[in-house]
Amino acid sequence: MSAAATTCPFCACGCGFYLLQRKGQLAGVAPGETHPVSEGRLCARGWSAHEASLWGDRLRQPLLQGNGKQQSVSWAEALDHVAGRLKELMNAGKSIGVLGSSRATNEENYLAGKLARAGLQTNNIDFSYYPICYSLLLGLEDVCGEHIPSVHFSDIASSQVILLAEGNLAETHPQLASAVMRALGNGAELITLSYKKTQMTRLSSLHLQATPGLEGEVIHGLLAAALDLGLQGPAYVDIDYEALVRELHSVKRTKEARQVAKSIARAERAVFLIPATSGNADRQRRNAAGFAKLAAITGHLTRPSSGLLPLLARSNVRGACDMGVVPDRLPGYEPLDNPRSRDRVQDLWGKKLPLASGLSVQSFLQSVSGLVLVADNPASVLPMGQRAMDAMKAIEFLVVLDVFKTPAMRIAHAQLPIASFAETNGTITNMEGRVQRVRAVTNPPGEARGGWRVLAELCARFDIPGSYSSATDVFHEIGQAAPRYAGTERMSSQDTWGGAQVEHPDGAKSFVIRSTGATEMATPTSAEHPYLLALDGAFDWGNDPLVTFSPTLNRDYRSEGKLFPGGVVELGQSDADALKLRPGRPARLISVHGEVVVSVRIKTDLKPGVLFVPYAFRDCVRNVLGTDSVAGVKVECA
Amino acid sequence: MALAIERKAVTKWVERLLELGEVIAPVRTPCGDLLFSIVHSAEEVVWDSANPLHPPKAFVLPQTDPLVKITRNGQGVELEPIHDGARRFLVNVRSCDAKGIAFLTRMHEMDPADASYLRRSDNLTIISMACISPCAVGFCICADSGPFLNDSYDVQLTDLGETYLAEVGSAKGQAAVAEEPNLFRNATEEEVIRRKNLEAAARNHFGEENCHFGSAMRRISTGRVPDALWEKMSDWCLECGACNFVCPTCYCFSVKDLGGNGTWTRCRLWDSCQYSAFTLEASGHNPRAQRKDRMKRRFFHKVSAQYYARDGMVGCVGCGRCIKVCLGATHMPAVVSAIRKGKWHE
Repeated sequence: MSAAATTCPFCACGCGFYLLQRKGQLAGVAPGETHPVSEGRLCARGWSAHEASLWGDRLRQPLLQGNGKQQSVSWAEALDHVAGRLKELMNAGKSIGVLGSSRATNEENYLAGKLARAGLQTNNIDFSYYPICYSLLLGLEDVCGEHIPSVHFSDIASSQVILLAEGNLAETHPQLASAVMRALGNGAELITLSYKKTQMTRLSSLHLQATPGLEGEVIHGLLAAALDLGLQGPAYVDIDYEALVRELHSVKRTKEARQVAKSIARAERAVFLIPATSGNADRQRRNAAGFAKLAAITGHLTRPSSGLLPLLARSNVRGACDMGVVPDRLPGYEPLDNPRSRDRVQDLWGKKLPLASGLSVQSFLQSVSGLVLVADNPASVLPMGQRAMDAMKAIEFLVVLDVFKTPAMRIAHAQLPIASFAETNGTITNMEGRVQRVRAVTNPPGEARGGWRVLAELCARFDIPGSYSSATDVFHEIGQAAPRYAGTERMSSQDTWGGAQVEHPDGAKSFVIRSTGATEMATPTSAEHPYLLALDGAFDWGNDPLVTFSPTLNRDYRSEGKLFPGGVVELGQSDADALKLRPGRPARLISVHGEVVVSVRIKTDLKPGVLFVPYAFRDCVRNVLGTDSVAGVKVECA
Repeated sequence: MALAIERKAVTKWVERLLELGEVIAPVRTPCGDLLFSIVHSAEEVVWDSANPLHPPKAFVLPQTDPLVKITRNGQGVELEPIHDGARRFLVNVRSCDAKGIAFLTRMHEMDPADASYLRRSDNLTIISMACISPCAVGFCICADSGPFLNDSYDVQLTDLGETYLAEVGSAKGQAAVAEEPNLFRNATEEEVIRRKNLEAAARNHFGEENCHFGSAMRRISTGRVPDALWEKMSDWCLECGACNFVCPTCYCFSVKDLGGNGTWTRCRLWDSCQYSAFTLEASGHNPRAQRKDRMKRRFFHKVSAQYYARDGMVGCVGCGRCIKVCLGATHMPAVVSAIRKGKWHE
């Protein structure tokens, strides 16, 4: 039995553990007390992290398919074919897109970006989770500028006040829930803001009930209450105070909001935990900015051990952003139109970067003729999953590099098997900005090889300079492309967990608070559609291959899907009684967009008038929701 | 008869054992953790150290344990048991872990005996190290599993400074010592007295506030733990299953086949009674759908008089690992204390 110190592939907490191997086969997981994030504590996902690589449906050799035929080929043949077909599309003036992934390493994402911009000459590069976290990051940037001050997990455990806007932290980020529990043990005050009564709300000393789509009312109520305290924020905050007072003039200040504002203002150390949500982008951006403003005027943006932490779902969301795997950013998450950044990357890559702006994944999936997809299944991540799958089926040439045979890989014209996190070296960046190592402990099955190697060979076929003999070479180049990563490089030579922090180049921090205009929000309900239907959550682990291929984890997630194959809607007992709906029976939901029939589940913790559909079942109710995550509905017995 | 071996000679003994089979001992990883690992040279063994966080349980009951090879043969299948009869020496294991393996072995010996497990445990020689001072989180004294052992070891070493006292507890232990008879001599009377004094001192070093199983057992065995308390406690559990995985006495498992295309390996996998679908039935019914019910079940199994009568001990060896790995706050001493006081601390 041998062990390799590695980083968990699931969520963006970035826990570390030892992956165990016996006779060449993955055998299990052992905790490591010295890991700075997890300190020996792992969640259920971490404890079963070895399973998906072992039980997963894996391809052993590159495979080409088309005209009803499938053919296993050598790597050279596969890569020549892929490069040839992509060049044909380029020469024919057809558009191509590239998707990186929040479950791929930094090295894989970096090379995917390089292939897109330097090789395929397109800015159509994105990753499937970006549309979900984009508005959150943008809203924080509106106030904080380019460098969002982030707290460390250790700050959470030692903070005095925690404002937790949550989906269900205990489920989405158990390691963070653990830090919150330790803070409570140290006497911290927990304030939760959520739609449902969850495990964390039961532990809170104050719970602010929000209505889906109208959470801005609560956030701006807190901001208004903070302004009422006479807080004008520290000197480093550039604030248009008059405009803000005017903007918040009519906002309702509840007794709870006043109490919370006082607690936050009084606290020396406070952290704000803010999750990514799905739905209307403007609303999300405004809400995120609202939290940042609250943190700024209460002085918690520059104080040590205080700050904001955007809660990201998958392991390498931050890394994918930092590698520039998004349409308008270069490595370092620097704006594409920043001349200095452009010049640096052009010099390094030896190629001119394309000028035409790129589309986001949701748009370019509908329009591209060629797609290179790295380690992801967009349909299981994007808010409109089925629409993405339909679009991908129509793509002329689809190349998928993945560890697992996902639904996307099965329809690909070129299927390129790559190594899993247990079989390759690399780095991933957790949500704090900690760059940590992933280490190979076994060999990939058959001829599968490291994703960085496959992408490097594709880059070579597009005459992009660069030669790498290991993932470390790629990481070295990342440090040149993204100066923020240059300082993290020394850790790659060390034999430990890694864990260097991404650096902020300039020490000076300044924040800007501007009025964003109207804060009033239209409620989606009406006399004709009196119930509020909302999506619950913004990511579904149950459809992630790391879960579906793990026998232990899949059992828990699959059970729900098996019970409700056609979808489920959750509502409170009083609503069910009024509507004469019974558990397991069908209900018809009708909105201005359309109607659907789904099964009923009664929940004891729901507010009357609000119905929830778990994110996993979003496609079942898409006809009713339209493009948003909330809608007014009429409910009938079906 | 107690023996003694010079501190310097232990390395020689381990070198001999390495020629006979796998030697498993605490090893320092490059990251600085201690991990029970297969050692390749006697120098790798870390002697003066805390107890590793991950127990050596995986060497008798692996997290992924291949049991049977299944091969399709025409209309039928051929079954071939997978033997792991490797001779192993578990070196510098603490009293709690030795006791844990003895607990697991008793369980797997029960009818129907588990041949796969027993093949491993029969070939395992446990060379334990008595604890001369309590570890930071341990409460073995409450679970009758330490700091020194009277049983459950093959050889028990006690650190006397320049020498180790070596007590032989079984024929397997005798065989291991007989491999290098020249390294051992009979212990002196003074050495035996020192060992006794060290044990008494170690016992004295445990504080008052430990894990009061007796009190919890009376309440839990007679259904006198209020449901509201289970519910309250369950809000502090994050269902990670870590308490099960690091517990030297937990053995729950599920079964899953690995492979395809006509050949499968039937594997036993570690499982956790705290996972919601652990007891999910095919009909969709789950007798322990709520977290509080699963917690109640776990602690009934660990602490009740009903199981004490069957197992002869509580299902806990007081190693304290659950305190360190619990993502929430519902480790053994916390729950036992809450049951005893009828109140969850907050």
